Amino acid sequence: MTVVLLLFLLCTSAAETEKRIVKDFSLQNVDGKIISTKDYKDAKGFVVIFTCIHCPFAKLYHERLNQLHAKYSKLHIPLLLINSSDTIMFANESLANMAKVAKEMKYSFPYLFDPSQTVAKDFKAEKTPHAFVIWKENKQWIIKYSGAIDDNGAHPELVKSTYIANALDELLAGKPVTVSCGYSIGCAIHYRK
Amino acid sequence: MIESPPKEIPSIIVQSKNKLTTPMLKRIFTLFLFAALTKFSTAQFNTLWIPDTLSGTTFNLNLIDTFKQIRSGNQTVTAGVNSDFWGPTLFFNKGDTVHMNVHNYLNDSTTLHWHGMHLPAVMDGGPHQVIPPGTIWQPYWKVANNAATYWYHPHLHEMTQEQMTKGLGGFIIVRDPQEAALALPRTYGVDDIPLMLTSRSYNGSNAFLYTNTSYGDYMLTNGIPSAQVNLPKQMVRLRILNAEMERAYNLGFSDGRTFYVIGNDGGLLNAPVAETRVILAVGERIEILVDLGTNNIGDTVNLNAYNGGFALGFPGGEPAQGGQFGSLLNNKTFTLLHINVTAATANAITALPVALANNTYWTASDATVNKTVTVTGGLPNQPGNPFGFENTHFDFNVINKTVNLNDIEKWTITNSNVFGHAFHIHDVEFKLVSRSTGAVGAYESGWKDVLYLPLGSSATFVAKFDDYSDSIHPFMYHCHFGPHEDGGMMGQFVVKGDNTSGIAEANVGTDFNLYPNPAHNKLFIQFPEENAGVYYVRMSDIAGRSVYMLPQPQLNNGIDIANLPSGIYLVALTDSKFNTITKKFIKD
Ligand SMILES: [Cu+2]
Repeated sequence: MTVVLLLFLLCTSAAETEKRIVKDFSLQNVDGKIISTKDYKDAKGFVVIFTCIHCPFAKLYHERLNQLHAKYSKLHIPLLLINSSDTIMFANESLANMAKVAKEMKYSFPYLFDPSQTVAKDFKAEKTPHAFVIWKENKQWIIKYSGAIDDNGAHPELVKSTYIANALDELLAGKPVTVSCGYSIGCAIHYRK
Repeated sequence: MIESPPKEIPSIIVQSKNKLTTPMLKRIFTLFLFAALTKFSTAQFNTLWIPDTLSGTTFNLNLIDTFKQIRSGNQTVTAGVNSDFWGPTLFFNKGDTVHMNVHNYLNDSTTLHWHGMHLPAVMDGGPHQVIPPGTIWQPYWKVANNAATYWYHPHLHEMTQEQMTKGLGGFIIVRDPQEAALALPRTYGVDDIPLMLTSRSYNGSNAFLYTNTSYGDYMLTNGIPSAQVNLPKQMVRLRILNAEMERAYNLGFSDGRTFYVIGNDGGLLNAPVAETRVILAVGERIEILVDLGTNNIGDTVNLNAYNGGFALGFPGGEPAQGGQFGSLLNNKTFTLLHINVTAATANAITALPVALANNTYWTASDATVNKTVTVTGGLPNQPGNPFGFENTHFDFNVINKTVNLNDIEKWTITNSNVFGHAFHIHDVEFKLVSRSTGAVGAYESGWKDVLYLPLGSSATFVAKFDDYSDSIHPFMYHCHFGPHEDGGMMGQFVVKGDNTSGIAEANVGTDFNLYPNPAHNKLFIQFPEENAGVYYVRMSDIAGRSVYMLPQPQLNNGIDIANLPSGIYLVALTDSKFNTITKKFIKD
């Protein structure tokens, strides 16, 4: 029964997704420092992406994450990458291994460790990668987009819809987000019972 | 490899029409014409994938999450066994003892069931043998089955449809001397072709759908949309598996030709049976011979499903094109495989054997025990009561039936309910002895482990439950429709005997020693008591991460730990009375 419920959470009605509020969070970065959303005084919003080291579909996006951050952090929408893997099940999803990936892939943004899975649970993240755009409204973080980063994992050159970028451009222009809910696809996040 | 759905092309034109100038329209019309032409030439077919093979007595199966370019646009997230969809074909020789290393690299627990294999319940891979992520499960058994086509697939309760939809599974082909002595096509991938038939529906991101859906909209034959294969101008053998969630296939050829059924789920028939149509329900396998010798090189013929015009109850006959019980393939004829006839091979088989086997089947009068199973539930007005048996649903804690070792039993399955089903029983191959709808068809007269149970009928089979008893660990009987078994249309039976699974009563006693400690390559277990035995060994690291599951391990040669990271590990030994003792060792 849980399986059925989870699938519906992926893409509920757009209106419902837009109303969802998530909490501020602070997590350990790969450099050892604690990073909090509260540290970003100027942030209009965040791109929050849940990922992991071992999922083949998540591995396709390293370069595009750097590009997203390069463009939108200047516009006060930084990217936060989060690994919420069940570290009991997956020994390799460690902070040390995350640091190796961050170095190798030249991540220009924080890569945060969420071993208790609390942030992933607050966002209701389902997959790796699962991307969110959150936006500050009345001092609260509202989910404006939930789903895939774009519409072609293995072939960036064939991407037709850049869901995250589109949502950010619309928000920056003061418009409502047209596509607020795209299917996140990839490996399931295993939640520790 | 990339499917081009023809339906999209007209829709582009309709959407854009208003804004287009005449020259642009012309260009698009030309494009559409070109696309239409390619649609009706061979160009839109994709080459059939033939699964890789593994043979020998040790089989390494890695279950992985991955993705595959199935359609144009985004990749589809899939799962596979050493592969991006489905898995290798395992070749077993009857009489060999096969050892499986099943490594679960998935992001979730799973199980792997050896469908059709006669083996101890604890090796069977049913819903009880849950393999957590990161764990290696090592079942082994002596192959007692006849030469035929079997398969392996996940069987995790409530997750079977999802995990099978993603692509987990594979063929098993058993060889034996009787079959080897016959003049039958058996060059794998050349004149002996495994065909895994299934269909899928996709969301807008090309992800598979697997909830509240019984039928796919698009065929996948060995994981390939619109599959075609070149087959030589001679007698060819097709080993066809229905790996659907619910749909049955009414198999036939586009030119109406006669084909010859030579084998059922569990072995060759006594003689070939000529047919032009055969219904294959979920989980069933059929081996057929098709004579392409009378064709010309360059001829084409399609293997089709003639699924139109059935009465309600035929799985996939529902007329709806959408919704939970509808699909674009329902209630119509559609192509499963496009065949191009090419030159004959050297040493081609050209003749149909007259005789195949000399099976001695059980008859109804051989049975000393009768059992009945009745389909219940599933009524549209009772959503809280899905399909089940005897008004109950699967419960891990309830053993529904008990069989005595070596008994020959007669089971009658009755379906006077609302829909057709595919009844499967583990442990045995059975003989269908009667159907309420009339005589058992010649095409299903051989050894079977799945039977199609049409609406408004009953079917009776006879089987002998020999070799393996285990008073604790059950086998399953169930409907093989993914949504039905996940909904609890399953029961469990134990085979009771003097001993457990053919080995002496396992008893861990009161103590054991692990040596050497620290260990590097192999870990040995020493028992101070005589007649000590082990039913199950589980190994986990100090964080509680499961690493090994060893059912009834053969401990004389030690446990191979060479690949484990160094650290402290816990070894839990369980005996057949479920007493467990745990000890630590250090891997250095
Ligand atoms: Cu059923």
